[in-house]
Amino acid sequence: MALLEVDQLITEFATDEGLVRAVDGVSFEVEAGATLGIVGESGCGKSVTALSMMRLLPQPMGRIAGGSITFQGTDLTRLDIPAMEKVRGRRIGMVFQEPMTALNPVHTIGRQLTEGMLLHKVCEPANALRAAADMLDRVGIPSPDLRLGEYPHQLSGGMRQRVVIAMALACEPDLLIADEPTTALDVTIQAQILELIADLQRRMGMAVIMITHDLGVIAETCEQVVVMYAGKVAEQGSVFDIFDRPAHPYTRGLLASIPRLETPAKSRLGVIEGMVPGLRDLPIGCRFENRCEHAIDRCREQVPAPELLAAGHTVSCLRWQAL
Amino acid sequence: MSAPLLEVNNLQMHFPVREGLFLRARAFNRAVDGVSFNINPGETLGLVGESGCGKSTLGRCITRLYTPTGGSIHFAGQDITQMRARRLRPLRQDIQMIFQDPMESLNARHTVGDILEEPFIVHRIGDRLWRRKRVAELLNIVGLPARSATRFPFEFSGGQRQRIGIARAIALNPKLVICDEPVSALDVSIQSQILNLLVDLQREFNLAYLFIAHDLAVVKHVSDRVAIMYLGKIVETAASETLYREAAHPYTQSLIAAIPVPDPHRRAQREVLRGDVPSPINPPQGCSFHPRCPRAEPQCSATEPVLAPLADTHLAACHLLARNG
Repeated sequence: MALLEVDQLITEFATDEGLVRAVDGVSFEVEAGATLGIVGESGCGKSVTALSMMRLLPQPMGRIAGGSITFQGTDLTRLDIPAMEKVRGRRIGMVFQEPMTALNPVHTIGRQLTEGMLLHKVCEPANALRAAADMLDRVGIPSPDLRLGEYPHQLSGGMRQRVVIAMALACEPDLLIADEPTTALDVTIQAQILELIADLQRRMGMAVIMITHDLGVIAETCEQVVVMYAGKVAEQGSVFDIFDRPAHPYTRGLLASIPRLETPAKSRLGVIEGMVPGLRDLPIGCRFENRCEHAIDRCREQVPAPELLAAGHTVSCLRWQAL
Repeated sequence: MSAPLLEVNNLQMHFPVREGLFLRARAFNRAVDGVSFNINPGETLGLVGESGCGKSTLGRCITRLYTPTGGSIHFAGQDITQMRARRLRPLRQDIQMIFQDPMESLNARHTVGDILEEPFIVHRIGDRLWRRKRVAELLNIVGLPARSATRFPFEFSGGQRQRIGIARAIALNPKLVICDEPVSALDVSIQSQILNLLVDLQREFNLAYLFIAHDLAVVKHVSDRVAIMYLGKIVETAASETLYREAAHPYTQSLIAAIPVPDPHRRAQREVLRGDVPSPINPPQGCSFHPRCPRAEPQCSATEPVLAPLADTHLAACHLLARNG
């Protein structure tokens, strides 16, 4: 059995203009120790999927309206709050995009790092600071003992993200959810952080869900990939399926639109015309239909079901065989 | 070759860091510290660097949003370095700017029509009827429907707002447009629409661009030449193909190696650059890159390397290259 099985997850938000489905029937699995990437543009539902897994949806607007999230044999959607608190931060760690907002500005690094460890009783109070310093050392922060007494504003962006990673990993979770962990960082710092996550993953044997809009980060870090569009999974497969044999017109469009170092300067980039539809006015059939150059009448009426192309490679497109 | 449109020579922008009771300048933030380059008409110079390297400050000096503290800026033969606002005004038609976040650079209380009409009113061009016609033309050029004129910025998506920002920038037929991170807030599929539009506009109107961004792949895609900035200085500059294939400066090499390649067959065992960018208030002695440089030698911490030619238009500031060269 996989470490995590998300099955037909539906997440809804109550808004002034009625109920909207930010995530609509999303399914995927993560094996122990593996890395899964979730890629998509803003508003595709990738972050809401992560927050659903952590049961951290904004309250009272957000709720899981259907499906299951089975982690180590337990359906997280059915856990009560105290039981979920034992999982969150202990078995599943999370790293957010913006380290400054994930850290409390008025508490020292040491206090924030030990909080989780003491809460989950993974170490004795007397040893907590020692363990926190060890953790800072493992994420590559120089002079960790000094840093324990410092505040977030005294650290650079890259160092802050290392602290956030140290917090997420302090209890040695079995799964790390990283939501755009490097988006706010410079490219040389991004390389440091990605290397750090991969290295810690190897040493601690945890699984990682990497959520990003950057196909470069996906290609570098992931084994399995889920491509999301407007709350649904457009395509999923191995990283080689997605990059070598993309089947969904959206995946193909995304890959064609990235400027690469080896393409000639000022050549035309591929474009996906139009923009992502709002959650309140989604197309009735395929959600990509209004931007898809291959759309036919059937695409406007019928919701495409995931179809298996090859082992582990599925696509939700009525016309994939014709393209 | 025709005369350069823009000539920047040893430009400096040092901001005082004021402290204490009398706010005396205790130190200087050397945001731009001796930068020189030219841009020819119709050409794109890409400017790449990490946060805090001074690339945006440089752009703001050229548009004269800041008055530089040293060096010179010549635009179309005129020295604009210290030029007063009144004399600068006619030149502002020729130098325009596109910002990163179109939501912050568009007045939320004005309709798109008002926003696009404003440059003509400020510069007293045309009557009301003519201006309205020109607004419709501009919307068409950037690929927005004519009815957008009566709407407000919040009614548009990020990509559409950037199109509005571009329409405003090209309204007065400028010769030079400073693009400061114009696509970094946009999704990839929208980013490619905007990059294609910028390339099309350049061809159609013979615009010169100074294209400032942190993403080397994006910059290389739109630029004829690229300059790499680190801590207020240009460390390497070359034609964009040369820079990517024959990067010489260790910093440029690390920057290229750090970019995640969207190809799972090419997972690099890369040499990751250690450490952070130092503060421009107290930059390292000698070569400012030496504390992070994998190839630093004793002389690198002692003397500062100068930008020297490796080939015709390929310059780099590195002691190791000067010696081997």
